[in-house]
Amino acid sequence: MNHFVLARRFASASLIAALLSSFNVWASEEDSWQVLQKAAVAARALSYKGIFVCQSAKQIKSVEITHFYDGQHEFARNVVLDGAPREVLNQSGNVVIYNPRNGKIVIEKRRAQNMFPAILPTDLSSIKASYSLRSGENERIAGRPAQLLVLEPKDGLRYSYRFWIDTEYGLLLKSVMFNNRNEVLESIGFNQLALMNTVALDWFKPKIDHNKSYVMEQEQELVADSGSPVDWEIKALPAGYRKVDQMMRKVQGKASPVTHVIFSDGLAFVSLFIEHVAKSAKDKPAPKNVLTTTGNTSFYANVNNGHLVTVMGDVPEATVVQIANSVVFKK
Amino acid sequence: MSEQISALMDEEIAVEDAAHLISSIQSSRQHADAWSQYNLIGDVMRGNQLLSKDFKQNLMYKLDQEPTVLAPKSAKSHAEKVAGFKDKLPAKWSMAASFAAVMAVGWMAMQQVQTGNEVPAVEMAQAEVVEPAIPNEYMAAHQSSAPSASSYYIQSVSYAE
Repeated sequence: MNHFVLARRFASASLIAALLSSFNVWASEEDSWQVLQKAAVAARALSYKGIFVCQSAKQIKSVEITHFYDGQHEFARNVVLDGAPREVLNQSGNVVIYNPRNGKIVIEKRRAQNMFPAILPTDLSSIKASYSLRSGENERIAGRPAQLLVLEPKDGLRYSYRFWIDTEYGLLLKSVMFNNRNEVLESIGFNQLALMNTVALDWFKPKIDHNKSYVMEQEQELVADSGSPVDWEIKALPAGYRKVDQMMRKVQGKASPVTHVIFSDGLAFVSLFIEHVAKSAKDKPAPKNVLTTTGNTSFYANVNNGHLVTVMGDVPEATVVQIANSVVFKK
Repeated sequence: MSEQISALMDEEIAVEDAAHLISSIQSSRQHADAWSQYNLIGDVMRGNQLLSKDFKQNLMYKLDQEPTVLAPKSAKSHAEKVAGFKDKLPAKWSMAASFAAVMAVGWMAMQQVQTGNEVPAVEMAQAEVVEPAIPNEYMAAHQSSAPSASSYYIQSVSYAE
């Protein structure tokens, strides 16, 4: 790809930025949804560089992000600045993580679906169905003027969010997730940000540590569907959640592959695992009706008709229980 | 030397000028490892198809299954072929076993180091409550296919394998 083409594509990205900067005042909820919609696009279609701070229940890390859009493809390099120098490279949704572990660098592959600041999907219709949106005050985030938008669930089956959107660039500057007791569960926000004026891609590679060896992750393999008859179905999912993916995967310590189904309401993701309960006596007995929360993650496991059904996700406990109960086994 | 091997991969050094590098890659185990690692990184970055991790086992199995021709010369060349493949395969496959063995210890140590970064906040009080922990194997599977926004950077799985 020559530089001229890149320059032209960058110009079109700049045009989007100019369009995004043309709104400042909003009033109705519909206007707020449009701001959120533009933030979802801006996170992908702008080129920018900055540092954001990511805080979960357990830890806090600073991350340097370089994001570039050439008009067709996204390139992002995220370097964790605190602790181990983990790097997350994203090329149009294909994520490669360089994860220093035990003196080696383990290379992991993922699909990107909610990498900050592209937390929101570009299609907001499912979020609109389950959350309401209102605008808050103008605040200053990372030295930038920002508009606060508050996304609140219409029921108790999901958490609430606060988004701060750059009033000039339209970019999501900060996102905070709250539980229903209004405690912060997860916070990610820029503390410095600038639009990028480069068309070069020489930065899009990991910093190689010549003293370490690089190995591929011993990944939890996905296996082709075994073709065995499906003896269960999903009925009466909690409102707003729908199935987004299903696969068979090998799980550590399990002899046979486990069915893994993923549900989402557009923002939150929930995993459902279904497996046969081992019958032989030497296996440790399967836990019955375990409901627990670790950090932000709710977890529920129960035995149903000779199957172990396990559900987990960054959602309220009621949601994981309802999803587990929506699995019906055919007699 | 590693920097020079890296430069050769990036085509910053012309192949014609790299005779000494290529011979050192061939003769030194360490340099051969570096070469194969940089190629692995390059393949991952470009999204090239990687060899499956069973590649070597499958290959060896298939070689073993090949009919042995009962002629002394052929039998010898078969052995040479196997040995030849062993030399050419990247060193990382042989590292995998020792890697898995020391991983559990390494991760426990790493988790202890990382606790130094914890926020002394309300969350600390929650962490002290004894609750049944979420099994790591499910947490790993969940985060691999349905990651939360912070899980790309903060790992809540301790990988005690």
